[in-house]
Amino acid sequence: MTLDQRRAAELAPSRAVAALRSAAPLAVGLGLALALHLGLDASDLPFHTKVLVDVGINVILAVSLTMVNGFTGQFSVGHAAFMAVGGYTAGALTYYSSLLLWDSGDQHGGFLGAGEWLFVGSCIVGGLVAAAAGYVVGLPSLRLRGDYLAIVTLGFGEIVRVILQQTGNVKFTADEVREAGFLDTATSLGGALGFTGVPTYSSIFWVYAFVAITLLVAHRLKFSTYGRAFLSIREDEIAAEAMGVRTTRYKVLAFVLAAGFAGIAGGMFAHQSGATLNPRELGFQKSFDVVTMVVLGGMGSISGAVAAAAILTILPELLRDLPHVWPAGVLVLALGLAFGGPKRARFALWTVGVTAAIEAIRFGARRLGVNLADYRLIFYALSLILMMILRPQGIFGVREAWEIGPIGRILARRARRAAP
Amino acid sequence: MSDALLQVDAISKSFGGLRAVTEFTLRLAPGDLQGLIGPNGAGKTTVFNLLTGVYTPTAGTISLAGRRLSGLRPHRIAQAGMARTFQNIRLFGDLSVLDNVRVACHLRVNRGVLSAILRSGGSIGEERAITERARSLLRIFNLLDREAEDARSLPYGDQRRLEIARAIATEPRVLLLDEPAAGMNPQEKIELRELIRKVRRDFGLTVLLIEHDMGVVMDCCEKITVLDHGVTIAHGTPERIQSDSKVIEAYLGAPASDLPPRAGGGR
Repeated sequence: MTLDQRRAAELAPSRAVAALRSAAPLAVGLGLALALHLGLDASDLPFHTKVLVDVGINVILAVSLTMVNGFTGQFSVGHAAFMAVGGYTAGALTYYSSLLLWDSGDQHGGFLGAGEWLFVGSCIVGGLVAAAAGYVVGLPSLRLRGDYLAIVTLGFGEIVRVILQQTGNVKFTADEVREAGFLDTATSLGGALGFTGVPTYSSIFWVYAFVAITLLVAHRLKFSTYGRAFLSIREDEIAAEAMGVRTTRYKVLAFVLAAGFAGIAGGMFAHQSGATLNPRELGFQKSFDVVTMVVLGGMGSISGAVAAAAILTILPELLRDLPHVWPAGVLVLALGLAFGGPKRARFALWTVGVTAAIEAIRFGARRLGVNLADYRLIFYALSLILMMILRPQGIFGVREAWEIGPIGRILARRARRAAP
Repeated sequence: MSDALLQVDAISKSFGGLRAVTEFTLRLAPGDLQGLIGPNGAGKTTVFNLLTGVYTPTAGTISLAGRRLSGLRPHRIAQAGMARTFQNIRLFGDLSVLDNVRVACHLRVNRGVLSAILRSGGSIGEERAITERARSLLRIFNLLDREAEDARSLPYGDQRRLEIARAIATEPRVLLLDEPAAGMNPQEKIELRELIRKVRRDFGLTVLLIEHDMGVVMDCCEKITVLDHGVTIAHGTPERIQSDSKVIEAYLGAPASDLPPRAGGGR
């Protein structure tokens, strides 16, 4: 028995409309990435560009981990390991190919030139290798319930780190590479010192092009019958299985997809300007950073993961030179009072309190000549604690940004009217 | 009887030394509505768990329309046409009422995950067909105007009905209901009886019902099986069950002959 296919065919849009609806969001995403790239290029803000690249990479990581920890409710704490697998694969591929092809490990060609396409291809290969690693790790461990996955992924992260630390020195010339052969070259990844010399290709355009693809895939997955099957596993695995959901298969599928996107993010990370691919930087600390983003955003909320990734990446930079926060406080207060629910009075009080406290600290530090940047990690931790007190379910809870508040109410009303 | 839709042959289940179910046998012909009763801990829910593949029977076979089910994973059994509700409600609490039913339509989907990611025309068509079907089920169960609410925010009786709607969305041939009347008020119980009869008629279902509420069981079921300590102690029409001495003993804890005549005699 299958779904009434004749009815499904009747309800399907025409071929042309379907093709347009399938491709248009990606075109818009790539267009926005290009606009951002050109805009930043023209305005010459290297520091802002660097932070935005970081934000993009972290968005890919957080949204992909949302597929596992948020959608299917499994608990993976080894996301950085897949990032490392993808990053080292992509980095080595670009670097050594550049040596062989162009006799130099430096950037080759301009915007959309040959070098950039090599980089994109390497990142995709890195993603595929990471996805394969995800399959190998996920298949045995996702059959089990509970905390086993957390233990296995933690262990996998450590294994990857230790293996990478054992690799040989990076080769510097094409002759060295030719002489050493494939296997030796493939294991010359810099060891504990890190993989230096990977050419810089991670521009705003490419990072945000992959951000667009990641968001599109995550969104379409979540709001499809497959996404609902994923979410049902998070809600109640036994009931999901009883309703015919192939729980093990979908847990593995989500895990493989997430690992693949983490691998691509790793590729972007490897080709970043001024970044050294270092085993320790892609250790469990990084994994926990990503988990923090997912939890802060709200379990299963894509927009929440995006917001949390952006906030947690920008916040430490912002704390280097704390700006005035009262304009933001006033804005939040106004929005909260206008659209807030029954707890708006409490919310307003907290907003006023926190804003006043930050301004007081800022004022005090200025008067006493204390450099707040030295204490920024304390403030970072404090803000996480505050967030957990004020909104333990994460920024958007299990919903998306547009599903809550006044927009959500309007959308729900429209959906109800559309119902037959 | 070769015309049985669901045939259960002498299934047993032991947990270590505990024999939860011993040689349970049952035949359901197409369109049957049978009851499964017994005191607390008699093994009724264990039988459901065996039928739906949550547990694998230690011995015996289960077959649905001639196809052997014992040993299959629960999702395969659901696919073969057996759906259930749960005694302690297991809805997808954070999902909307509509999504709870739509999840259960998933097993009948043809398009692959790549089609969903590309959002192809075919997957959009299927998606709309799923939504249409889910809404038509919610209308039957009087839940349509609550479709956007979280399942966990529904009143108890509505949650029970949503569980039945979700089970039916899997397009089953056999429906297993585990204490659907538990926690319902008298009015809701009357409506539930009507609903069970109605869905059985409209969807051509064969139903097996676990229920503690004797009013519901005696009124709905054509035949009843009684379990006690995992052993089938009686099987027959409601009238026969009500006057069966072993059943009375199992429920009241004393042989019927020892009891004063009024309690022992059938009502």
